[in-house]
Parts: sequence; structure tokens; C-alpha cells
Amino acid sequence: MENRTKHIFLTRLSLASLVMFSGLTAAQEDERPLIEPDVQPQKVDEALIDTENFEIGAFVGILNIEDFESSFLWGGKLTYHLSERVFFEANVGFAEGGETSFEKLAGNVQVLSDDDRDYRYYNVNIGFNLLPGEAFLTEDYAFNTNFYLVGGAGATEFGGDTRFTANAGVGYQVLLTDSLAVQFVVREHLYRIDVLGEEKTSMNTEVSTGLSVFF
Amino acid sequence: MDLLKRPMLRFALCLMILCFSLGASADWLWGSDEQPQPRVKVVKPFIEWRTGPASGYPVFHASEKGEWLTLLKRKTAWLKVNDEKGREGWVHVEDVLETVDATGEKVVLNEPRFDDFGSRRWEMGLLMGQFEEAASTAIYGGYQMTENLSAELWATQILGSASEIQMYNVNIVHQPFPDWQLSPFMTLGAGHIFIEPKSTLAVPEDRDNSIGHAGLGVRAYVTDNYFIRAEVKDYKIFTSRATNEEALEWKIGLSIFF
Repeated sequence: MENRTKHIFLTRLSLASLVMFSGLTAAQEDERPLIEPDVQPQKVDEALIDTENFEIGAFVGILNIEDFESSFLWGGKLTYHLSERVFFEANVGFAEGGETSFEKLAGNVQVLSDDDRDYRYYNVNIGFNLLPGEAFLTEDYAFNTNFYLVGGAGATEFGGDTRFTANAGVGYQVLLTDSLAVQFVVREHLYRIDVLGEEKTSMNTEVSTGLSVFF
Repeated sequence: MDLLKRPMLRFALCLMILCFSLGASADWLWGSDEQPQPRVKVVKPFIEWRTGPASGYPVFHASEKGEWLTLLKRKTAWLKVNDEKGREGWVHVEDVLETVDATGEKVVLNEPRFDDFGSRRWEMGLLMGQFEEAASTAIYGGYQMTENLSAELWATQILGSASEIQMYNVNIVHQPFPDWQLSPFMTLGAGHIFIEPKSTLAVPEDRDNSIGHAGLGVRAYVTDNYFIRAEVKDYKIFTSRATNEEALEWKIGLSIFF
């Protein structure tokens, strides 16, 4: 009787241990994936994320040169975005001064030589994205936009003279894609000049449009 | 019409060069995608998505805890992400810094902080001010050799009503307290000055002189990787005449560091 009890107990024990053991191995097997992945889990490599804080672009427009008509303006710009609000912007622009009313009326007079009529400017500005927004083209297609203020200083070369020039303006930028933008800018350039005798402040309005790319 | 043609042509050429360089850069930037974009897993309860890279843009979606995001690109403090359902949007870098990567560790992105200001190597900036009575605009680049000492290279344009001046300087800068957020410095340097008087003056004579200068200034850390720099410099212009000239310049501007 005792033997029999022992036997049952032992077989049960061994059975139980067998079941437990097999269960354990099954569990161990389950933890392993069916297919071993070839790749190791990757840490985030910052170098793989493309940062687009710089913007390079070209613009065309009209520059009203005080006393010298309005003329075709073209140029380039480079922008560095410090934050979502603040950016640095550098511009170069080229135009050619026309004739003064005096030259037109008097006929055969020239106030400036052709070389001196070349108008060149550069400036470095700080910009502020005042009103970021969205423009809705259709029901489900929207462009991100920015209405920004920009101002700074630089130099203007005109009339055989280089003058310190302050400028301020507003711009409206439409991002066609994340990396491509179109902008419309109205800007006032101010400098002192004495090309027509006495020194005075010259106000020059620029209206331009340009295309730029973020990189 | 002739007047128009020339600049038009030059402009078209510029545009072509721009487009070409863009095409070329596009190739090495996006052309061969060998490595997959990094992915991160949200561990906060949720992360908000905006339609654009600024806090002014509306929130249109939120990723829940456990979702995986792919980091596509970055503009200032915003990262463009997409999720497994193909949605795209912008999340703030602070939110991304609280996610984990595939190894289960917190994501590390290099965010410039004040600590980096002390350990910066390169700095460059643009300053404007006055040189005597005339407007002065200057750019510079500097290399920090030790905690206290750096070497700088300056180019300055000074536009007055009587002359146009270009000035180039090399100088050594010493900052006694590199750990301060508002860190004063002193500087000593030498260079060359090119003075071109206005042609309307009676006897225009170009001048080209050596100069030496001493100055005092301050760097004030603002945020991220930029700081405000202001300085006053006293220049000694070594002329060939009996007396040397002296000029005082002050300027203020913004600099970035790397």
C-alpha cells in the first residue's frame, strides 16, 4: 500500500515536473522571434536628419531710385533661421539708374556717366516672422505662409559714391513645399547722398518677388 | 531696352547656376537613400503634431504612447515626422527629446545650451555701430584657443560723408570670466586701413595706413547658439605725417558659435 502511494506520488511528481519543464522550454522557445532580424536596433543618428535652417534665393522686382526713375532690380539673398520667429538675412541687389527729369527736359545733358548709374546694394538684416499662417488654395490643400518684418543696414553704391544705407520692409512668404518658397517683399532703402548738389536723404522703394530654397 | 537686356541675362545666368547647384545638392541630399531615417517611440502619454514648424500653427493630430515616429527633417526647433499610417506633421524638439529609440534609450539630439557657450570653438558675427562720426559695419570670425584666449579676424566697412574706409584687423581677445553669462573681455590688435576720400573733395588722395587698437567689450549669451556682442575700440592710425591719428569706434551685434 505504501509502495503504491509512493508510486502514484512519484509518478505525479515526475509528470508535474515534466509538464513544468516542457512548459518552460516552450516559453523559452516562444520568446525567440520566428525570424531573427539581421539588423541591430539603431540609435537615433542626428546626422541622418536633414536640417533646413538656411535659405538661398534669387529675386526680381522694381526699384524706384529717387530722382532717377524706376528700374529693373535683380539680386540674391541668403537667410539663416535662428528660431521659428527670428532670422538673419543678407541681400545683394543690382539695378541701373535712369534719367533725371532735368536730363530729359534739357536734352543733351548728363548728370552721371553710364558707369555711375550702376546701382548696387548689400544689406544684412534681422527678420521677424510676425504672422505665421496658412493659405488655403482648395478645400484640402493649404500652403504654410509667413508674414514677416525685416530691417537692417548695409551699403549702396550709386553715383560714384558708397553710402551707408538703412532698410526696412515687410514680406509675405508662401512655402510651396517644405523646401521651396516664394516671397513678395516691399522694402524702403534710405541713405544720404549729394549726387544732385546738396546732401539729402534718398528714399528708394523696392517691390520684388523671389524664389528660395531651404537647405 | 538695351539697358534691360544685360541685367536680365545676368539674372537668368544666376538663376541657372542656382537651379543647377540645387539639382546637384538635391542628389547628394536626397538622391541615394541608403540608410533609413531614424525612428523614435513615444513614451509620454501623447505628442502634439502641428501643421507647420512654429507654435503658431494649429495642432491637428496627436501621437499616443507606444506609437513609432520617423524623423524626416528639421527646421529650427521643429522636426517633421511621419507615422506608420503615412501622416506627416511637425513636432517640437523638446517632445522628441522625451521619446526613446529602438534600443530603448532616450533620444539624444545636440541642443546648444549655455554649457556649449563656454566650450565653443568657433564664433562669427556681424556688428554695426559708429567709427567717429561715420557708420561702421563689421564681420568677424574667431577661434577660441583656450578658455580665456581667442584669436579673431575682422573686416570693417566705414561709410562717412567724407570718405569710404575699409579696415582689416587681427586681434587677440582675453576673457577673464569665461563661465559668466555676461562675459566681459579686452582685446588688442593690429591691422590695415584703406581710406578713400569722396571724389567731391578738393584734393582726393587715397591713404593706406597701419593701425593698432585696444578695446573693451562684452559677450552676452542669449539662447541656443547665439549671443550679443558689444564693444568699444580705440584705434591708433600710424600716418606718415608728424602726428598719428586716433579714432574711437563702438558697435553692437549678434554672433553665433559652434
